[in-house]
Amino acid sequence: MLTEIFIKPFADMVEAPDFLLQVLWEGLVSGILYALIALGFVLIYRSSRIFNFAQGIMVVFAALTLVGLHAMGVPAWVSVGLTLLVMFGLAVAIERVVLRPLVGQPDIILFMATIGVTLFLIGLGEIIFGGENKVMITEELGIPTGSILFEPWGGLLILEQKDITAVIVAALLVVALLLFLNKTRMGRAIRALGDDHQAALSVGISLQTIWVLVWFIAGIIALVTGIAWGARAGVSFALEVIAYKALPVLMLGGLESISGAIIGGLMIGMLEKLFEIYWGQPLLGGNTETWFAFVLALIVLLFRPQGLFGEKIIERV
Amino acid sequence: MKHITRLAAVAALGAVMGTGVVAQELFAPNLSYRTGPFAATGIPLMNGQRDYMLMLNARDGGIGGLPVNFEECETGYSTEKGVECYEKTKGQAIVTQPWSTGITLQVLPKTNVDEIPILAPGYGFSPMADGKVFQWAFNTPASYWDAASMILQYLEAQGDLSGKKIAFLHLDHPYGKEPLPFLELKAAEDGFELLPIPVGLKEMQNQSAQWLQIRRERPDYVVMWGWGAMNAGAITEAVKTKFPMDNMIGVWWAGHDADLKIVGAEGKGYKSISWSYPALDAAVLADIKTHVVDAGNSLSNEEEMQGVFYNRGLVISMILAEGIRAAQEHTGNAQITASDLRWGLENLNVTDARLAELGMTGMVPPFQTTCANHTGHSGGWMLEWDGEKFIKTSDLLQAEADAIQPLEAAKAAEYAEANAPWAMSETCDAPS
Repeated sequence: MLTEIFIKPFADMVEAPDFLLQVLWEGLVSGILYALIALGFVLIYRSSRIFNFAQGIMVVFAALTLVGLHAMGVPAWVSVGLTLLVMFGLAVAIERVVLRPLVGQPDIILFMATIGVTLFLIGLGEIIFGGENKVMITEELGIPTGSILFEPWGGLLILEQKDITAVIVAALLVVALLLFLNKTRMGRAIRALGDDHQAALSVGISLQTIWVLVWFIAGIIALVTGIAWGARAGVSFALEVIAYKALPVLMLGGLESISGAIIGGLMIGMLEKLFEIYWGQPLLGGNTETWFAFVLALIVLLFRPQGLFGEKIIERV
Repeated sequence: MKHITRLAAVAALGAVMGTGVVAQELFAPNLSYRTGPFAATGIPLMNGQRDYMLMLNARDGGIGGLPVNFEECETGYSTEKGVECYEKTKGQAIVTQPWSTGITLQVLPKTNVDEIPILAPGYGFSPMADGKVFQWAFNTPASYWDAASMILQYLEAQGDLSGKKIAFLHLDHPYGKEPLPFLELKAAEDGFELLPIPVGLKEMQNQSAQWLQIRRERPDYVVMWGWGAMNAGAITEAVKTKFPMDNMIGVWWAGHDADLKIVGAEGKGYKSISWSYPALDAAVLADIKTHVVDAGNSLSNEEEMQGVFYNRGLVISMILAEGIRAAQEHTGNAQITASDLRWGLENLNVTDARLAELGMTGMVPPFQTTCANHTGHSGGWMLEWDGEKFIKTSDLLQAEADAIQPLEAAKAAEYAEANAPWAMSETCDAPS
């Protein structure tokens, strides 16, 4: 048994390096998308201390809006623009109707409010678009399909072009968000709110504007995620569960850390794939991805309760 | 806008049908799922079921002169909500249609006490075929073990299975695990290697790990017990992994046109066993168009109505309607009870001639149930995706009764013992 755990997996990796590369690539694709979703959670949490339960349904809603608009005859890229407009409208509506009346309420109330937003968006989405599976407009958006084959060490490595596109777009979006947060006035305002609400408000930062902005950014992230995952298996309400894959990323990386979300997402994406292929399937019957990331995050929390990159909170009494 | 109109139609129908039960109607609730992660596969089935009952109400005034109250209770495919729906609707119900193997397993002991027939066409617990033990449960016209048997026979016809490797890609859910006892038995008997590969609910749309395993293990065939978004996810990954589509076969719930349309021509050759088939020239479809669609009462659309799942929904409601009709004829009363319906469902005799009378020739193979045989074992056809639609690619296949029945009897007895005291039928002989 010890050989099966400690020797064989590594021997398999060495024996079939092309397969190992394929596993790492698939992990990277999943990881960067987890990181993207986690970033949506982190941005909202940093600026408002709200854990946004609605992030998953926002992915569904954005993807459904995109394919729904295109089905009505709107050109693909115009549909993207209009979908962004819808997500902006949603951000404004959530800030006005849900969050503003709840300013000053305990965090749990705000969290419950996002569950309410989730249920509302599920109902609205089903009324407007129906629950049927829809085909993502991958080709219409100019996203290349098909795959590129490599033969490293005489083996086989298959890279799907839409996965490559997803990785590039997600990486660009992450870089753009980092630049926005670090180099722009608005970005610094978001970070200031995350560091100290009272101090940020006292220097004139508008809470309402920032909230609309971060929810809109979460909407953009939802759209990109929806396109990437929808291109794999269609657009349906099943996409909602993808967002919950980001929860262990947040536990691992820390709810407030942008770099934690990125590194945590990539780590979980690749480690869960490696564990599933080399340990989970041969020794545990497979499907370890369902729990591996949570166990990993729990182990990290045992030693670092604030997550790998979260800030240690010291409260003086 | 179309969906808003549909919602208004549902609301109007709800108002007409009412949530309460009035006298002189047949209350046949459906624990449907039009929402949630599995809605894409639920909607066409529910639409087909509903349209058939609406057609009977409009064309014939219902069944035996009584309208059918076909109330839906939304479960979202959640077992907890399904049990709530069962409790909410069981009061006056003559039947319960649980629509998930998980819900079926939960309400199975309850229905044995409440004495309400479960109608689970083509799903649920396979040993429900044993009517002596499961006197209130019906998985007519075919069980999951029938499906597994027919798939293996089809594969055997391509070549001896001895020494072959079959990957069993399945949803990690009671539904996905249901055929395992039969497949394990056949693997031991026929000498093939069975490789079970579970897919978690959260992994349905990202099955790269499962397909990496398939690439590494190089199975000869992939047999899929998928549902909802899992089907499209698996077929997409199969295309990506270059797994030969000809060697991939799904159960009847993994043969949905909308899932295959996502991969389109690349899914050509993919197969699915099925006990129903969309015979688009069937007279019943013309009646539905006249009495339901043209009257503006259907929630479906032209494309969906040509698909396998919508047409299977029609067949499912036909099975229920035939059970009601048989019970009415037996008792001489139009207003039947749950107990009467049990008799009706135990005495179904859907022959080719009867299918012709119903305008459903070619939509389902003939089948017959008895007190002891609650499945009917209709057999099925192998369907193949031609890039645009499913077409029949085999003659009628029949499950191996000799292999299935001893296992059914053993597992049914095991269930009864584990759930003792379990009321059994005193009147049935051994399963036939």
